[in-house]
Amino acid sequence: MTIISSEPVRADLTLWEIGPYHSSLPAPMRLKLRLDGEIIAQCEVETGYLHRGLEKACELHPWRAAIAYMDHLDPEVAIFGELVLCLAVEEIGEIIVPPRAQRIRIILAELSRISAHLVFMVRMAKAVGSETIVHYLLRDRERILDLFELVAGARFSLNFLRFGGVSADITDGFIERVLDVCDLIRIRIKEYNDIFTFNYGFLKRSSFVGKIDPILVKSSGMTGPNARASGISFDVRKDMPYIGYDQFDFEIPLGRGEGGIVGDAHDRFLLRLREITQSMELLKQVSDHVPIGEFQNEKIDKEYIVPPGEAYARIESSRGLLGCHVVSDGSPCPSRIQLRTPSVANLLAIPQFVSGIRIEDLPVVLASLDLGIAEADR
Amino acid sequence: MMSEQNSWIIAWCNSISFLSEIPGWAHALLALISTYCLVIVPSGALMVYLDRKISADLQARVGPNRAGPAGILQPLADLLKLLQKEATKESSWRQNVWLSVHTMALYSTLAVMPLGSMALLVDTEMSAFIPFWSALVLALGTMLLGLSQDSVPGWFGGIRVAAQTLAGSFPALIALLCVGVRAGNFRWSILANCQDFSPWSWTFLSNPFQFIAFIVFVMSGLVLLAIPPLDGGVSMSDIHGGVSSHLFGRRLSLFRFGRFFGFFFWSIIAVVLFLGAWKLPLQVSEGLRAQEAFRFLATIELIWLLAKTFFLMLFITWVARVNPRSRVDQITDFAWKVLSPFSLAALVGASICAGWKAFL
Repeated sequence: MTIISSEPVRADLTLWEIGPYHSSLPAPMRLKLRLDGEIIAQCEVETGYLHRGLEKACELHPWRAAIAYMDHLDPEVAIFGELVLCLAVEEIGEIIVPPRAQRIRIILAELSRISAHLVFMVRMAKAVGSETIVHYLLRDRERILDLFELVAGARFSLNFLRFGGVSADITDGFIERVLDVCDLIRIRIKEYNDIFTFNYGFLKRSSFVGKIDPILVKSSGMTGPNARASGISFDVRKDMPYIGYDQFDFEIPLGRGEGGIVGDAHDRFLLRLREITQSMELLKQVSDHVPIGEFQNEKIDKEYIVPPGEAYARIESSRGLLGCHVVSDGSPCPSRIQLRTPSVANLLAIPQFVSGIRIEDLPVVLASLDLGIAEADR
Repeated sequence: MMSEQNSWIIAWCNSISFLSEIPGWAHALLALISTYCLVIVPSGALMVYLDRKISADLQARVGPNRAGPAGILQPLADLLKLLQKEATKESSWRQNVWLSVHTMALYSTLAVMPLGSMALLVDTEMSAFIPFWSALVLALGTMLLGLSQDSVPGWFGGIRVAAQTLAGSFPALIALLCVGVRAGNFRWSILANCQDFSPWSWTFLSNPFQFIAFIVFVMSGLVLLAIPPLDGGVSMSDIHGGVSSHLFGRRLSLFRFGRFFGFFFWSIIAVVLFLGAWKLPLQVSEGLRAQEAFRFLATIELIWLLAKTFFLMLFITWVARVNPRSRVDQITDFAWKVLSPFSLAALVGASICAGWKAFL
């Protein structure tokens, strides 16, 4: 996939190609930059270096294996890939998911969101060369990974959700530990703000940089925190609720331009910080309402074959709208699994708004988009 | 050119019988080599260790703990690893030339390095200015080293370093003038002797303008020599380390050590100019001088000076660890638009203070 901006090529500009591996790139991709001095005049994005044929791999294996493959859609936030597939399959098979499993799913999804946003902050800090906060953030993210390990036995590739529920019940004391982690992170966010968020140097580097226009958001199909930072209020959890998000009361934060202007890199950073707070509020509410009962629909077993049909499920992943179109022809393997990943739109938008920034800002802007190349290339 | 100030070297030479007959130039050479080997290199190793260990404490991690007890041999391990690295790419002759220019510019300052009242090899009325010329040559060497690499990161790194040096040298020079106005001379010995052991007698606390001059001097040194957090020229995240992006192995260790040396040298000058130099308490130095214990005096003066220098360096490193790296255009803006006016104001104020005192 090559995305080219429409500006004409000028001979007086320097060509600088970076990638597929470069320290300013968050993941394998290639940028062809036309530079006027240190200012980027034109940018081309080339991706596909991390293509693993994930959608095809899902078709070659039984239904249950697809869940394990979806773990690797975005290895940092495995649960979202699993969740969107399960939702689509449950829609085709009209599988009823027990309420306890729904709550466990929400807990895992929100923990994943917090973890993903912490990693986003790590990338942002690395882009501006602030080392200390990186270690603080990773230390706190370990607590969340510990929770994953407790519940699923793995820290990254959970392979925990099943069609019609989850693979195991949560252990005693898990909810309390979730709340402990929330309390911890609530205290730590204060520290992050003191040391980094409103650090003068960080504000100088990230505010007024890489502003994304709401028009560009709509034309490129950007969703998730990047779109919300530009003032577009769209969140699948609110607008098309799934797994019972409608039963809880939570706010969708929008970009307010506190550091600079609405939609700049610092705004995207702040918005994710606020989403962490909001996810913790949500976790607190959910943890009060985890009913006792089944964690898995008993009719669904290992050999379950999805009846013929097709469905499209969408969820709000940590990066935006994650969609999954599943087609079943009644065979033991999926007939087609197609994904709509939020990072593709973010990649599409890059050439449209990086013109005019300095190359020193490029890592900051790319980090602020929270690109998941794994899910874009899939 | 023998002066009584390097008598410590003569005393040291005399204690080893076969060295007592050597000529004056050999004494000077010996002084340079021993300064480099006994002061600069161990200081580098110690600072690397302290930096890594203290940063680890700040950042909630363990830090080096494998090489030797508490990781104390880590600098040595780092050095050996860099030295034995295989060259993956033939380096061009231009790279060699500019790396040697860069290195010579750095170590030419060794002779003017003030390391104590007994260890001043070159103590002229212009001594305090010599490091600036070295820094400018250093910037030129670094720029050409970057430009000779035939790569975009090298070009950007080189140009950025040159821009930073030009922006930083003006406020640094003006801040130096402030000290000269107070001391009345630019001789290291006179600059040091107008201060005493007590912090209240140090130049940076003598009046508010000298305090401003101190802050300006330290910050413009960071700009001038591209020391973190004002090191946009060697930024890792966008241009892969800039000038050093195509250096590896021995060359990289030479370059890195050069960068450390610049930082170290600048901190020593800051301590000598503003933070009481090597002055010891309670007439210790007079007593030792009377007893002709020159080597002992030189050693404790050096230790006291280096202790203050390390403290200043660690303070700057501490700030650099927490704060993000600034952008080059912001750094040069800051140097021209903030540091320079402040340095001029400090010069005017310091001059008025000096004149006021003379009038009294």
